[in-house]
Amino acid sequence: MSTANVPVRMQVNGRSLDLEIPPQHTLLDVLRDTVRLTGTKECCSEGECGACTVLVNGQAVCSCLVLGVEMDGQQITTIEGLASEGRLDPLQEAFVSTGAVQCGFCIPGMIMAARALLSAKPKPTRAEVQEALVGNLCRCGGYSRILDAVLLVADSHR
Amino acid sequence: MRPFTYLRPTSLDQMMTALADPDASAALLAGGTDLIVRLRRGHVRPAMVVDTKSVRDLNGDIIAIDGGLRFGARVTMTALVEDARVRDRFEALVEAASVVGSVQIRNRATLAGNVCNASPAADTVPALLVYGARVNVVGPAGARVVRLAEFFTGPGRTVLTRGELVASIDLPFPTTAAGASFGRVTRRRGVDLATINLCGLITSDGEARFAFGAVGPTPFLRIDRTGALAAGATDAVARDAALRTMCGAARPITDVRGSREYRAAMLAVMTGRAWKVAESRLRGRMGTRPA
Amino acid sequence: MSAADWIGRSHERVGARDRVTGALRYTADLSFDAALHVKLVHLGAARLAIKAIDRRKALEVPGVACVLAADDLPTPMPRYGPAFADRPILATGETKFFGEPVAAVVAATKDAAEAAAALVDVQAEPLPAVLSVEQALDPQSPLVQEPALRPGDALANTNVLREWTFGWGDTAAASAHLVIEHEYRFPMVTHFAIEPHVFIAAPDGNGVTIWTPTQHPFVLQRVIAAALKWPIARVRIVAPDPGGGFGGKGWPKFEPLLAVLALRLGRPVRLVLTLEETFQNARRTSARIHARTGFDKDGRIVSQELNTDFLIGAYADIGVRVVSKASYAACGPYRTPNAKVTARALLSHTTPSTAFRGFGTPQASWAVESQLTEAAGVLGIDPVEIRRRNLPRKGEAFIPNDTPADGDWSAALASAERAIDWHAPLAKNRGRGIALGLKSSSTASASLAIVRLHYDGSVSVMSGTSDMGQGARTVLAQIAGKELGVSPDRVVMTMGDTSIVPYDSSTSASRSTVFMGNAVIKACAHIRRQLHTVAARALGVVESRIEVAAGEVRTPDGVLSYAEVMQAGFGPPRGEIIGIGEERGGGYIPTHPLGGRPEFWEFMCTAVEVEVDPETGMVDVTRIVLASDVGKALNPQQVEAQDEGAAVMGVGHSIMEELILDGTGRIVNLGAMDYRIPTIQDIPRQLHSVLIQNEDGPGPYGAKGAGEGGILGIAGAIGAAVNQAAGVAMRELPLTPERIWRAIQSARAEFG
Repeated sequence: MSTANVPVRMQVNGRSLDLEIPPQHTLLDVLRDTVRLTGTKECCSEGECGACTVLVNGQAVCSCLVLGVEMDGQQITTIEGLASEGRLDPLQEAFVSTGAVQCGFCIPGMIMAARALLSAKPKPTRAEVQEALVGNLCRCGGYSRILDAVLLVADSHR
Repeated sequence: MRPFTYLRPTSLDQMMTALADPDASAALLAGGTDLIVRLRRGHVRPAMVVDTKSVRDLNGDIIAIDGGLRFGARVTMTALVEDARVRDRFEALVEAASVVGSVQIRNRATLAGNVCNASPAADTVPALLVYGARVNVVGPAGARVVRLAEFFTGPGRTVLTRGELVASIDLPFPTTAAGASFGRVTRRRGVDLATINLCGLITSDGEARFAFGAVGPTPFLRIDRTGALAAGATDAVARDAALRTMCGAARPITDVRGSREYRAAMLAVMTGRAWKVAESRLRGRMGTRPA
Repeated sequence: MSAADWIGRSHERVGARDRVTGALRYTADLSFDAALHVKLVHLGAARLAIKAIDRRKALEVPGVACVLAADDLPTPMPRYGPAFADRPILATGETKFFGEPVAAVVAATKDAAEAAAALVDVQAEPLPAVLSVEQALDPQSPLVQEPALRPGDALANTNVLREWTFGWGDTAAASAHLVIEHEYRFPMVTHFAIEPHVFIAAPDGNGVTIWTPTQHPFVLQRVIAAALKWPIARVRIVAPDPGGGFGGKGWPKFEPLLAVLALRLGRPVRLVLTLEETFQNARRTSARIHARTGFDKDGRIVSQELNTDFLIGAYADIGVRVVSKASYAACGPYRTPNAKVTARALLSHTTPSTAFRGFGTPQASWAVESQLTEAAGVLGIDPVEIRRRNLPRKGEAFIPNDTPADGDWSAALASAERAIDWHAPLAKNRGRGIALGLKSSSTASASLAIVRLHYDGSVSVMSGTSDMGQGARTVLAQIAGKELGVSPDRVVMTMGDTSIVPYDSSTSASRSTVFMGNAVIKACAHIRRQLHTVAARALGVVESRIEVAAGEVRTPDGVLSYAEVMQAGFGPPRGEIIGIGEERGGGYIPTHPLGGRPEFWEFMCTAVEVEVDPETGMVDVTRIVLASDVGKALNPQQVEAQDEGAAVMGVGHSIMEELILDGTGRIVNLGAMDYRIPTIQDIPRQLHSVLIQNEDGPGPYGAKGAGEGGILGIAGAIGAAVNQAAGVAMRELPLTPERIWRAIQSARAEFG
């Protein structure tokens, strides 16, 4: 029995990737170190802070709690996959305009969690936004502008 | 994390074969939200990690069975809280599952995994206990059914023997009208592990079931059939005495989340609150006015 | 849009777009092809005597380059520190705190380094550890620092690293109508910036380069140079924007170790701390404060006696400065006719405490504000009113011979009172609290700025300020834009590289808008003076007939842009105009206890409303109002966001945060799972910030600094509100549900 790398084909931001992954590397490790997409951040590495949030098949997950080898055949979206052709996602614009961005380290994970929420529920209540983002810690900002940003996008949804 | 071998069997037979290897310790990977944390911390050091997610015979479906619902091994917390049938018939389980971690955790964490991890503070377990959950186990020696109330043997320990795993969990629909309520105490309003948790269920027959977590080595269930806790019960003294008896078997400890005294006191407070809510939900179904 | 419009506007944060797209490269995102990975080896308790370190198994792991321990380093062990050079590169003889590394493994991959670190076999024996204020003061306790490290120090045979007495008047003789005396405690908390610490070092042609998100690149530069016994010029620090700092990334931690490794191995080396390791390596100074406050019958303070005992860690870091600065101004923004503050910085076998937003003032404020609230209750005076009666007027000295009250502080108090509806009736189980916070800004520091006016009229600004989220980049670009009449979009900021930017003391003490902002203004003025000369010469006109305004040069024959002036002046060889500005504020005063007067006071009034569940003790902070005296908000949105963030951070230490140690000094709740900080569900429904702007600060356009105010008084305000809601006076933070529950039970037992 060997701990050999496992071949995995995954889609990351619409691009198909064929990788050989050591089983003990998390999806976070793979994204940052192998695929070199460093927009997804590492903080607690235990699923408590949300900084590493990405979408797997449209659902928000902590990439530090997913092994890379579990991702065969899966579709992953990272923060780098949100903007298209240079145009920011409305959430990204809103985070900038409401002043929700300070140091920015929590922001990629926060935006991905918010993106997942709005895709499933375009007009959430304030309480629903709080519930969707409770797993994303921010230490700079006090959260209220993040709430404003998500609700701003929700309000503008037709 | 230390290296390990990763296996992704596609059938139960393949899985059993892998788990039967006497020279290789194995850990089962479902949602990963418990296992990966333990792997990172070095609390477990398996030679192989066996992924359950491709096993044909294990599914992520909630299916109707005779008199109840069957939750497949891969049913996630998110799938559970979003299922209309579960929301309708097992309200307290939805309440409990909704507070297991954050959305990110619930999108991966499985009900079966929460049960098998066997933390004394597992949020879903008190609800599963009052609803009379049964665990469908498969293993090298065949299949067996274990009542959840008999499933836990200690903190982090279950009756599962080597090579056995949980294929599904059955919840029978309550046979009479019932009202249930899940409650817990935490250190902050945001996502947290429970200092104590509990679930109360009252049936129209006057039976009251309460299950408690994080106040003993395993979660446990108590049933009162005296009628003192029935809907509309007016004798507050008898009711409080019955609730105290319910809590009496608790053996809370002091740890980083709370002291033994605080836990014991919160048990009394939250049991009373859970009774009130469960009772009012039941009366709502029965269409009766408050006592 | 005119130049004047760029000041006082919430200009879009420079760098926000890179942050929302994930494009910004934080230090851990930087790519170094040949970098080796470092993993620290540390032990399971605070104080362990190191008997033997066996590296053999670790060295057998493929890819391991070295396993460094104390015996690989010179004797005596090189030591470093910003104030005292007391911290060894690696633990030597014994560990002094839980997490102090005894060895460093370097390997080709992260996996190899991690595997090898687990195989380093350390034989160690536990020793008794000093973990509390009481233990530190106990003469029977072991000494944390060897006396030989403190030659000539009369306190060398104690765990008192330094002690001070500040004060004036005569507290013993003062007679008061009411004396309130209590002991208060402030817990050990950690910064928990979302970016863990990361350090990269590489040898370069001149010496060594270190990449780390440090708030103070020039402090690090001199500390590394001293540790290596090198000239400063050979050390280059590159400081990418931190993912949160709050003081935790200010003072050197593992950079000296990484420098040694890089030079020894001749390769870049990279250390990324886990979050747990980050907790083990930075925390706020905890404190026990004994307060004895005398009041007259109208609630005016007659005397204030404070014994402030701060538990700093195993090494001084900047802890001594925290204690002295906070204690000096501990009496707060009040007329205090008689004051005596006795302060001690106490060593312990715990994480070296360092700067943390507020720099000792939240600790002092917790005590002083709670005393005022209690006096208000006893005397039947409204808590807002009692503070109003004690506030000095603008211009009044409240600390003798020092910077007087420099703002209309009553206005801030009145603003908060109005905004929270202070006098409205309260529902059951609800309470309101108010507290004032006052922090000394920078004393005796220096900022230099270089501004380059390019041939086409665009501008580059070189500044050593660190933008860790407070928006320094944006504000400095706004200032340069206004001074030179350039849109901030045509201003490029270069920060954080000591080989490019000129000297700056630090990004701390809320000083950067004032000090660096003024330096930028002076540099721009320098440019304008040079433009004046160039224009006069190029046009053949006397200087007195030329006026250089923002963005344009007015001549007898018409108006020219800066670019046109340079084209006329330089011709085809082209060129640029470089301006240099320096701001030193009031300067260094050797006789002043703090080395200089506070350049300005950072003043904040915090009002809160809470609801307490009397059966569980759970506190819900429902409203927070902040009124800060900022002089001029150059970017109002950024100031408000900082105030709000500071307040929510303060809710953390007020009701939920505390590092818990066991008897061996091990941190029991190490990590995000059991060290709880506020989440988005823990914030109040109303979080509102009022900015008092009287343009009365020493900074650009009348600005003062901001960013720390929100965390100064929040605990005192919440404590007061909890008191009103639940009838219990709390003196130890955090106000966890269990602590409040216990207080309620005790009160019931006592009063029935």
